[in-house]
Amino acid sequence: MVIVQLGLVANGYRDPHNYFAFQPFNESSTYAVELVRVLPDGERVAAPYGRWEGYDWDELIGWRALQGPWRQRHAFSGVDAVVDFLDHALDWMADNTPDDTTTLYLEATVTYYRNARGPHVTVIRSHDRELGRL
Amino acid sequence: MTATASPPVAADRRSRCRRWLDDVFDEPASVRAVAIVRIVLGPSVIWHLKPFLADALDGITYHDVFQQQWWPWIPNAPAGLYVALLWAGVAAAVLMTVGRWSRTATWVAFTVVTYNFFLSETHFRHNRAFLIILLAGVALCDNGRVLSLDARRRQPPDDRGLVWPVWLLRFEAAAIYFASGFSKLIDPDWVGGRVMHDRTLRYQDDVRDALGGTLADPILEVITARAFQWVLSPVAVATELFIAFGIWFRRTRLAAVWVAVAFHVGIEVSAQVEVFSVIAIGALAIWATPSTRDRTLVTPSRWVGWLDWMARFDITVVPGASWRMVDRNGTVLEGQAARRFVRTRLPATFLFSRFWRYP
Repeated sequence: MVIVQLGLVANGYRDPHNYFAFQPFNESSTYAVELVRVLPDGERVAAPYGRWEGYDWDELIGWRALQGPWRQRHAFSGVDAVVDFLDHALDWMADNTPDDTTTLYLEATVTYYRNARGPHVTVIRSHDRELGRL
Repeated sequence: MTATASPPVAADRRSRCRRWLDDVFDEPASVRAVAIVRIVLGPSVIWHLKPFLADALDGITYHDVFQQQWWPWIPNAPAGLYVALLWAGVAAAVLMTVGRWSRTATWVAFTVVTYNFFLSETHFRHNRAFLIILLAGVALCDNGRVLSLDARRRQPPDDRGLVWPVWLLRFEAAAIYFASGFSKLIDPDWVGGRVMHDRTLRYQDDVRDALGGTLADPILEVITARAFQWVLSPVAVATELFIAFGIWFRRTRLAAVWVAVAFHVGIEVSAQVEVFSVIAIGALAIWATPSTRDRTLVTPSRWVGWLDWMARFDITVVPGASWRMVDRNGTVLEGQAARRFVRTRLPATFLFSRFWRYP
């Protein structure tokens, strides 16, 4: 148990989420997201405030740490953790919006400030949706 | 040339080590401190489960929102079963608090909290991880032997049980302070005040909303100054590291506990951290020596008995008598010295005992 805990503490310097590594309040970073839907023909359609085809990002996500990212907001547990969560959230969103029959994948442009330094930009996207099956 | 310990010294060390291991793993000792942690954890578990239950009452469970599985092999409970499990956790927490079927109840609470935690990575918080660790440590002890309804049914009363999990909990608690402090120590942005300064700037409107402009403005003028955070940040880091190490040693333990209480109150005031402050302060009980009634006290005051939650003293109340205390090692203290010593050993008074003035 002692060795496992020491291992988890050491792993916290590699793991963006610091699981069981106990590094609270590790950053004061902020981030904002611009979400677009990419259609099969390559057209990029903005999803202002995370709303499209009757879906609402904030409502579906249901988790305060990732809600309302359209304005600059605090990065819960640090930027790396948030980007990793956003990456998975895009996949989850792609799988849980069956009434959207036109989007091939979702793409998020994340603009962040790490401890007030920046801006830095990274782009993440969901997996391709199988439109024929929807 | 290599220096080696001489055979008698090495043998003595081995013998002491063996004695310590025997004490830790085989020698029963008082589980009163663990019982106190159990009592603190009961309401904390309910507090922790409350937002999940509130969502459930609104018809929302983890099935309905974004979840990120820790491991695919963890079974997903259907919504109805999940909500039933949450309520089972609440029932177990109530039983923990009153001490009925204490150990089983603690295991149930541990299982529910842990299962809920590992359903989705979005459920992760440091304070919840600490809650799980504490629940496991308390469940491993026979924590119902004292301060419980279970203890009332046990005759003759005996608060002793195996306390090796207490050492595990001590390690975990110290590791948390160390991990937090060390990670900040090696981060130039943290120890240099940049992180704290930026956070303070960002949340200054919340402070103004909470306190009102008249009170908040002079406070904000100080705490949003870069120089203030440049000083405060290394102090915060040093505080955590001091607790991590100081709490192990008899000479510094009292100070470390005092600092830890102030530290957690400060965190709770400046940032809401769910159950962390409460369980961390409650967990400080595990640093008490696991022996009870091994000091004898003659006192004219009944208040000592009411405040002696850790059962530090075998108390005889004699109206009109002067204070007299015999310590574990046979040292006798009388009058004012005995009163002062007693106050350093009572949970409700020890924090202030250093500042107490006597007539």
